[in-house]
Amino acid sequence: MIANILTNRIVNDIAGGTAQGVIIGLVALCLVLVWRATRVLNFAQGPMAMFVTYIGMTQMDHHANFWVAAAISVAVGFIFSALTEIVIVKPLYHKAEINPIVVMVGMFTLLEAVASAVWTNIPRYPTAPFSSINFQSEGNPTGLSPLSTFQIGAALAIMTLVAILFNYTSLGLKLRASALAPEVSKLLGIRVGRLLTLGWGIAGAVGAVAGVVISLNPGGLAPNMLDAMFILGFIAAAIGGLDSPLGALVSGIVIGVVMQLINDYWNSNYADMVAVVLLVVVLMLRPQGIFTKNSTRRV
Amino acid sequence: MSGTFKRLAWVLGGLVAAIAVASIQSGTDAANLTKAGAYCIALVGLSFLTGWSGQISIGNSGFMLVGGYSAAFWTLHHPGEPVAISMIVAIAVSAFVGLIIGMPATRLRGPYLAGMTLAFAVALPYVPQSFAVSTLGGSQGLTITPLSAPQWFFNLFDTNNTLPVVINSRFTAMVSVVIAALVLWLMSNLFTSKTGRAMRLVRDNDVAAELVGLHLGRTRAQAFVLTAALSGLAGALLVMVSGTASPSTYEFGFTFSIALLTLMVLGGIGSLSGAIIAALLGVYSLQITTWITDHTGLGPDSWVSAKLPNLAPNMENILFGILLIVTMIFAPRGIVGLATGLRQKLISVTRR
Repeated sequence: MIANILTNRIVNDIAGGTAQGVIIGLVALCLVLVWRATRVLNFAQGPMAMFVTYIGMTQMDHHANFWVAAAISVAVGFIFSALTEIVIVKPLYHKAEINPIVVMVGMFTLLEAVASAVWTNIPRYPTAPFSSINFQSEGNPTGLSPLSTFQIGAALAIMTLVAILFNYTSLGLKLRASALAPEVSKLLGIRVGRLLTLGWGIAGAVGAVAGVVISLNPGGLAPNMLDAMFILGFIAAAIGGLDSPLGALVSGIVIGVVMQLINDYWNSNYADMVAVVLLVVVLMLRPQGIFTKNSTRRV
Repeated sequence: MSGTFKRLAWVLGGLVAAIAVASIQSGTDAANLTKAGAYCIALVGLSFLTGWSGQISIGNSGFMLVGGYSAAFWTLHHPGEPVAISMIVAIAVSAFVGLIIGMPATRLRGPYLAGMTLAFAVALPYVPQSFAVSTLGGSQGLTITPLSAPQWFFNLFDTNNTLPVVINSRFTAMVSVVIAALVLWLMSNLFTSKTGRAMRLVRDNDVAAELVGLHLGRTRAQAFVLTAALSGLAGALLVMVSGTASPSTYEFGFTFSIALLTLMVLGGIGSLSGAIIAALLGVYSLQITTWITDHTGLGPDSWVSAKLPNLAPNMENILFGILLIVTMIFAPRGIVGLATGLRQKLISVTRR
């Protein structure tokens, strides 16, 4: 009976969809972190994560072990993202809201071109310390493999860490305060500028985890590997509400499962379109997203 | 400059440009100018949306796809009818799609809007590729007879046995430049009209706009319909000239939306002359890049390229990425803004 459930087609789709969904949620979480901190939608999130994943993962060519390479990616992700904030985003606060969008689009173009110049467009396949062959139940495959279990676990672990950091530590309180009420925080002696940089750094590190996890997918590590994921992550973040980390995770998983079901039962080309239609419908009904309570905006 | 004089200048400029284009000797330049005309129309549309109504779109390649396919579809099913009708159909269909996309857009702020239009542009090429494969041709796309020069044009310009291909591309270049000039003229009128003023007010201060009785949503939606219509016209023009509309056409992919945004910013947001400069920049970007790399020691023979053989094909995007970031931080009004600033400085120096 249990075996039947484990190898059932729909249950398999839900499990596989969840594995992709938490990764979408992870990308969405990066966008939410940056948005909450600085009201900038980071259009270069995908390429930034891709770039630092390359820097870390190519260390495996120099006999570094997978975990060391992943750790390098995350550390470089943190530094790179914080530097990006200091050098090119900081001059744009209090300017028209399209300015940071355009700058991050420039970053997008630049990073993908540099990555393609340095590492070529041929995908690389970092060897994961986990098998991608699905678990078997009485001779039939189930929806999960050791690899996808690791991907889900890593994504959920990072999300939990971020949640603990923001909700239960004094640093998290300061981070939230400087994002939501920068003037008041400044008066209370919080160094808002530094905390905003830190917020970007954290988002960059989370992005690097997403990059490493995605580079283990069949598509491998390629300069445009996060383009599709970024769109889905944005859709998840927008549906959940750009202010809500939990919304990002939940809508990420929903999108992952829905797309997996469409892939399996309909046509894989339709999956992206259905996600866009979902986005348009949600934005028409609730422009502020499903998980956000207020609809006020900064003028 | 007074209004009438300005309008006369536009018409004269358009005529001169058309004659100059029609007598171009090189076929490549003529083909490039054809593209530049279409790019210019798309850029004016985007520039209007961003510069005059304050909204941002990274999805205009999607509207170009709609326009291109509509034109091709109409031409296939109504052979022998004038090209202008195909163009009008393309404008109408893409304006309608713009209305649908514009409706949620009117309630969205910058980043949401940008993301939503980007998602639209990414997903749209899948429609002809997998839906209605029999009517829209799947990944092959639609093929029509490309626009060719009429007899009178041959009679006029076939003086020294020029190749028919070159004469053809001269003709398409002329058509494209004339349409672009017409669009520029219409838009320059719109900018100074009541609608144009309303849109500027919505961009600069939406609260004030509502107080004087403007309907915010409707004004924003109008801007979206207009940008979609212009993008559709540009897409249709490209398809009529090349003869194919396919999901893999460069101008129909989301990377072209990003290219359009880049070019618009470099030229100058909201500026008509900026759109002309940007269109030429877009068409000749490869030549410009090659010139720059050759003159900075980064060319194919340099030591950098020896170490990174993949650098040369990516040089264009590297340069454009850097330019976009630098422009936005140091000269947010683009080339036109820089030129205006320089001119004003010169005037103030000479008057002293």
